[in-house]
Amino acid sequence: MHAQDVGIHYLFDRQQRTVSPTIARLRREGGENWALQDVSFDIPAGEGVALLGASGSGKSTLLRTMAGVLEPDTGELVTAGRVGALLSIQAGVMALLTGRENTLLLGVLAGMTPARAKAEMEEVKRRSGLGEHYERLVASYSQGMRARLGLAVVERTDPTILLLDEVHEALDHEFRDHVEAYARDLLAGGGVVVATGHDHPMLERLCSRALLMQKGEMVADGDFKQVQRTYLGDRAA
Amino acid sequence: MALARSDLHIRYGRGGGQIIQWFIDPFVLVGVYVLLRLILGRGGGPVALSLACAVVPFQIVLLSATSAMNAVSLREPILLNMRFDRMLIPPAAVMTETLAFAASFTMFPIAMLIYSVGPTSALLWLPVIVLATLLLAFGAAWPAALLGLWYPTVKVIASQALRVLFFAAPGLVALAEVSDDLRRFVVFNPLTGLFEAFRHVFLYGDAPELWQLAYPAGFGLILAVVFIPLYRYEQRHFAKLVSDL
Repeated sequence: MHAQDVGIHYLFDRQQRTVSPTIARLRREGGENWALQDVSFDIPAGEGVALLGASGSGKSTLLRTMAGVLEPDTGELVTAGRVGALLSIQAGVMALLTGRENTLLLGVLAGMTPARAKAEMEEVKRRSGLGEHYERLVASYSQGMRARLGLAVVERTDPTILLLDEVHEALDHEFRDHVEAYARDLLAGGGVVVATGHDHPMLERLCSRALLMQKGEMVADGDFKQVQRTYLGDRAA
Repeated sequence: MALARSDLHIRYGRGGGQIIQWFIDPFVLVGVYVLLRLILGRGGGPVALSLACAVVPFQIVLLSATSAMNAVSLREPILLNMRFDRMLIPPAAVMTETLAFAASFTMFPIAMLIYSVGPTSALLWLPVIVLATLLLAFGAAWPAALLGLWYPTVKVIASQALRVLFFAAPGLVALAEVSDDLRRFVVFNPLTGLFEAFRHVFLYGDAPELWQLAYPAGFGLILAVVFIPLYRYEQRHFAKLVSDL
């Protein structure tokens, strides 16, 4: 994964709602904000990288840019490989669909043929451990159940790049161990893992390197422990 | 197809109830308008068949546009989690409503039977009329999707404004019953041609006039030509916008 001078720009109207550039031209501007600015890095195959920083520092925005959810307004970000992501609190699943229906939809959107997505349904059911809940609307799921479903679908799309944004922290300990084992296997196979969250011990086990984000800029890049010390200062101990 | 299938589940539910709703909805709507015509003392002739000729094409255009208005924000969890081809969203909304549109065609043989109106060779025009209807629905879906995202607070007003188009076209009464003064304006409504084209093949038993197909189809194509490039440009900002809704 290669990023060069990546910037993500937000525009607001007078009521401070986010607007697209087209609408910003029509409505009087209410301001702007660079959620990311001049972010550059390279992540080679087989490396786990943690994103550290305070809330609002740009970690989630950077992960969304890596996932292709956001396109850079400046610079470029190139990923080589299939991306699997758990980035939102809703784990990327639709509340008004059942677990089974979500599996088909997300599988196809991730590039599976409908036949393959259908064939994966039972395996996703097994891996997610949702049992009979798999046939129920996701709206009735807990946050942890949504994350289980989201991860099970991601696993079946065979990603080579795994992006995790705190959502794995909603999982119970048993499933968190599963996420960690899965991420380790992916790294061992030459994949890339980029994760953020407040569970620093888990991040440290997965990631040898860390990037420190502050106000949308990358202010440190290096060994996990070193960057953690820069971020936390005395609290690192 | 996967997007349309998920839309179907979300909009219409699952199983037999879903199919029954497709069939019942247009009958209910036509029933309400028949009642209105009776109250206005204009209940003579094959009223229900004439109304069906307006309600069926109107429903696909209206529902495609209103579905498209919500189509992007509805997919917020996916939009914020993974990359996928967002150009598929408006066509998926049209595809979803097309199934309900197809189901509503059952009204025609029933109404024709009730009024003893026999089928004619004019029915051969039906595929062309359906194509013109779908083109208008397809064209309307793109600006509707953008409108729903740019101005989420006006979605309700916009839906109501679209409903007004039914009455600003020969929906309740055929074009021949509209006064000359009004007819000059009503023909500019792209729905007018569609309503009349359906009446020609199901009610009058003759071929529709060229403008009745060309105008709505052309209108839909112009909407598509203008708004697809704009949608394509805008879709890269969707994740920023939906996270703010």
